[in-house]
Amino acid sequence: MTDDRLLEVRDLEVEFTTRDGVVRALNGVSYGVDAGETLAVLGESGSGKSVTAQAIMGILDMPPGRITGGEILFQGRDLLGLGAEERRKIRGPKMAMIFQDALSSLNPVLSVGFQLGEMFRVHRGASRKEAKERAVELMERVRIPAARQRVNDYPHEFSGGMRQRIMIAMALALEPDLIIADEPTTALDVTVQAQVMDLLADLQREYRMGLILITHDLGVVADTADRIAVMYAGRIVENAPVKELYAAPAHPYTKGLLDSIPRLDQKGGQLYAISGLPPNLLHVPDGCPFHPRCPRARDRCRTDLPPLYAVSERAAGGAADATAEAAEAAAADAAHDDIARVPEVGERSSACHYWKETVDDARRA
Amino acid sequence: MPEPNRPDTPLDAQGAALDEAVVTRGEPGRARSLSSDAWHDLRRNPVFVISALLILFLLLIAIWPSSIASRDPLYCQLSRSLEGPAPGHWFGFDTQGCDVYTRVVYGARASIAVGVCATLGVALLGTVVGGLAGFFGGFWDALLSRTTDVFFAVPLVLGAIVFLSMIQLSGIWPVVLVIAALGWPQIARIARGAVITAKQNDYVQAARALGASNSRILLRHILPNAVAPVIVMATIMLGTIIALEATLSFLGVGLRPPTVSWGVDISSASDGMQFRNAPHILLYPAAALSLCVLAFIMMGDAVRDALDPKLR
Amino acid sequence: MTPGAREPILEVRDLVKHFPLTQGIILRRQVGAVRAVDGVSFTLYPGETLGIVGESGCGKSTVAKLLMNLERPTAGAVLYKGEDISKLSGRALKAVRRNIQMVFQDPYTSLNPRMTVGDIIGEPFDIHPDVAPKGDRRRRVRELLDVVGLNPEYINRYPHQFSGGQRQRIGIARGLALNPEIIVADEPVSALDVSVQAQVINLMEKLQDEFGLAYMVIAHDLSIVRHISDRVGVMYLGKIVEIGSDTAIYEHPTHPYTQALLSAVPVPDPQAREGRERIILTGDVPSPANPPSGCRFRTRCWKAQERCERQEPPLAVPPVLADRTGEVLHDSACHFAEEKRRVAHG
Repeated sequence: MTDDRLLEVRDLEVEFTTRDGVVRALNGVSYGVDAGETLAVLGESGSGKSVTAQAIMGILDMPPGRITGGEILFQGRDLLGLGAEERRKIRGPKMAMIFQDALSSLNPVLSVGFQLGEMFRVHRGASRKEAKERAVELMERVRIPAARQRVNDYPHEFSGGMRQRIMIAMALALEPDLIIADEPTTALDVTVQAQVMDLLADLQREYRMGLILITHDLGVVADTADRIAVMYAGRIVENAPVKELYAAPAHPYTKGLLDSIPRLDQKGGQLYAISGLPPNLLHVPDGCPFHPRCPRARDRCRTDLPPLYAVSERAAGGAADATAEAAEAAAADAAHDDIARVPEVGERSSACHYWKETVDDARRA
Repeated sequence: MPEPNRPDTPLDAQGAALDEAVVTRGEPGRARSLSSDAWHDLRRNPVFVISALLILFLLLIAIWPSSIASRDPLYCQLSRSLEGPAPGHWFGFDTQGCDVYTRVVYGARASIAVGVCATLGVALLGTVVGGLAGFFGGFWDALLSRTTDVFFAVPLVLGAIVFLSMIQLSGIWPVVLVIAALGWPQIARIARGAVITAKQNDYVQAARALGASNSRILLRHILPNAVAPVIVMATIMLGTIIALEATLSFLGVGLRPPTVSWGVDISSASDGMQFRNAPHILLYPAAALSLCVLAFIMMGDAVRDALDPKLR
Repeated sequence: MTPGAREPILEVRDLVKHFPLTQGIILRRQVGAVRAVDGVSFTLYPGETLGIVGESGCGKSTVAKLLMNLERPTAGAVLYKGEDISKLSGRALKAVRRNIQMVFQDPYTSLNPRMTVGDIIGEPFDIHPDVAPKGDRRRRVRELLDVVGLNPEYINRYPHQFSGGQRQRIGIARGLALNPEIIVADEPVSALDVSVQAQVINLMEKLQDEFGLAYMVIAHDLSIVRHISDRVGVMYLGKIVEIGSDTAIYEHPTHPYTQALLSAVPVPDPQAREGRERIILTGDVPSPANPPSGCRFRTRCWKAQERCERQEPPLAVPPVLADRTGEVLHDSACHFAEEKRRVAHG
């Protein structure tokens, strides 16, 4: 763990009580973000990526949700041990969130200037005039043209991209240490998406904030993230620095995702498609939750739930020139091997029994 | 390039995943329509079960009142006027010396008949007007919606009093017709909104792209998806229409003696403040009326919860 | 592929759709018009895929509705095998509809929740009874389910028992029922999870080969459009600004808007992050109710000059590139067209 570690989620478990039974939305999720770092949390719908963010922010609907285990360490303090009032004081000045749908996140009957200024009035006790002045400053900072003229406009008078800028301005208002952005550009057009991501990256650098970027878009991740946590069925299946992950994914699910997206710069034949569907969280398959869809699945995957294995360069590199059989034998022994140690939070890791062959195959290709 | 997946592999995996999804409710492979889901929820809702049993009971006695009341509601002995409960006459006697229990039981028939018939009329008229306005839009919508507004502006009770005192006919049909003629705008507005919502769904565009006729789109695609709010509203209105009938009868313009109805009995109980001396003559018909109205309103609430797609 | 050698199956000529903006409740008067589609022309050849890309509000979905006759054009013609179908109605229109079908964006609202899958896929046969005799319909529906990769046993289930990807397969099966020649797909995969998108794209490609379908795919995702299209048209504010083969558009774009669009798409390769040249457009798309004069892109264009304001550039091979050969020579509506190779890479 580095001194810079801003947020660390450890073995977080969340359940939802539904009328069909108890859904285990998170099954021991661990990840960490350093100050000034961008962590992308990648996953499909139902993977638990947004639930994790809500748990960190303390805005999880409880009930039906329930945090059944784990801890969320923010600047060394466990947030789960704090009271509601203390959590509220952290939201805003310390951490803030940007949502996908800016229009429904803004109050339609209040002017954007008023909503931006609200942060200063509530948390800093600023006067109305002062708050409006700060609102104009914020709007200028997120590069909204003619900010002073538009400060009294209402949310519907802004375009989608401008509204998302206002959301960013609102999140930035009290200069938090951590920003969680949940699909911030999914609803925007490509050209506007590029503007907004650029802005977010610039501001992050300027304030040295930690950024958790929740997305399903592999392109956005490659463009902005430093590290990636890939989620599947309420678990982290792979955790890696961005370049290493794209160069050689260590989990078959990550590999499948990377292979299944069409590329702008290449015209291929048929796309690789991960077969089957994401699992129903009421009935997560035994063993590795990905095994019914996995091309590498073997008997062990159907019974043994793979823990997060540390993926070390040495182990993977050493096996790179060995024959396929040798690699397979080595991987089969992985559980007894010294390299199968428990990884640090944030260290490159993969929840696949056969991560070594996965990495090696990817390197060879 | 990895091996492209063959069509048979995803099929099996999907089958397994799908079956898992289905096991969660009902048996695997069984078809579950939205209405069967709603029914599944309703059966487990105590509010629905209680109100349904109550309504069932009220309907049964409305159809066969003689099964639980052996006397004739019109057989009265003036000599026993305003007498209290006695063996065989548990609810006592009213001003005319008629058995209150028998009259309360027989009163269900008129009240429920007016309620059911008027509600059917209201629902039918409202759905047709609102549905057509919503479906065709433009000029027809403007015309029908403004007409609805005109009717909506007439207060229901006042309008009913005016019309009923003008026509001076007895029996339940004038009351049913007047309520139906004045009560439909509420349903029409709801039906119009529901049809407009349903119309915007892509499956309506899909049907149109297939070349489906307007009547097919309206009957197969829009109505089944727009009918839920109308049913809910109609159930709740049934309760209020029964109360309205009682109000009109109480005011002397609705049902009149010799028709037996709760409203008529409440009206005669309050004539000359008779109930001060004999509270039972007001209490029992009023209690029966409240119970009946409550049952329908509770049922409407429960049905709304079950049909609300947002909870789904 | 040499499209010129064959007869086009669908030809769109100067298609215009203006939605009037009105004021007043009873006495409506028109105060303006949203120019959703403002002079769009293209052709579609049998068996090919034409992709239309553009940002939200550019009119691409309206084009789909006009092709499907779900909206009537304000002006222009849609020629199916030489016959203008945009003015047909009644029986003649119904007959044409058999040949052009649609796949919708949202698999959740495009299937009637109160009908079983069998009824949904079988509905085309109810509407066009001559396609399949009554006794044969169930069998045809089962066949169609099998063709799109669903278990035929699911025929009695309701749409909400399926996932998004499976629903999209059901929607595709319904579109195939009448054996159409053309399928118009409006954002067919944008509502699906990443890992399921590839399944549906592969299915669509398989079906195209199997049944010789012509696709017109409308999407905002440039990568997906490139993957499935033979030709691509780029739309901006109700007009096509550039159209050509997929190589022409993606490798040799000449219109500044196309170049900006391509450069903005994030590439899933972190190695390319530093070296990429990105054109970040400023400002927003102007309102289609009040589009700029001349070239519509000029308000956001870095090349804009006085001429762009005065004179609208035609969609044709730009004269400035006349001396070039190869893929650069394709239609591009820009006075100052200039090739920019492989912007996607930087």
